[in-house]
Amino acid sequence: MAAGLFSNELRVFQEHRDEWLRTKAGKFVVIQDSVVAEGFFDTYSEALKAGLQAFGVDHNFLVKQVWTTEPVYYLA
Amino acid sequence: MGRAELTWNALDQNDPFPCIMVEVMNSSDVIESWRALGLHCPEPRAITALIDTGAAATVISKTFANYCKLFQTGEGSVFTTLAGLAVCGEHAGAISFPGTNLRPINSLRIVSANFVKERFYSCLIGRDILRNWRITFDGRQRLITIED
Repeated sequence: MAAGLFSNELRVFQEHRDEWLRTKAGKFVVIQDSVVAEGFFDTYSEALKAGLQAFGVDHNFLVKQVWTTEPVYYLA
Repeated sequence: MGRAELTWNALDQNDPFPCIMVEVMNSSDVIESWRALGLHCPEPRAITALIDTGAAATVISKTFANYCKLFQTGEGSVFTTLAGLAVCGEHAGAISFPGTNLRPINSLRIVSANFVKERFYSCLIGRDILRNWRITFDGRQRLITIED
């Protein structure tokens, strides 16, 4: 089966999640492949800007909020 | 302060939802980065969006997200809908409201999902945007007023 989009990034996120939760819960982190951009960010917009500066737009990068469990959003 | 007035008859079966026209595109930061590489972004196209107090986030159809080439920044977020769980993509986008002076939003997370057999709209304006608005609905006048 083909690897999904962001599979590497999500693996890196899982590997660091517990460590990041201790001091960075609720912050946004930016990851491309196995590289984590420097810094944690209060908002999605700040994280996006940092990701563009670090990685450019040649390849997608993951912007993800640090939570204990993945939130489930409601659309009704 | 921006303001928009929309007419809506809640009992009209041909116009069953309170909707607003929107233009969705990549955020200016993404567009600038593309331009620096000599790449072009599709021109924005107006689409119909449902004003949805029940939506936690702003959602666009996957078809339109692909058309706009929205820069993707996530995959696998889980959303609960009336039809069950949906796994969605996440994109960095910008949204504006043509024909009104409501303030555009230059950078926000936009979720992409399949809009199965939905013919009235291809975007949901969720509470991430609605939290910045004051909305009133006058049912007798069939008038929705939005202020930001």
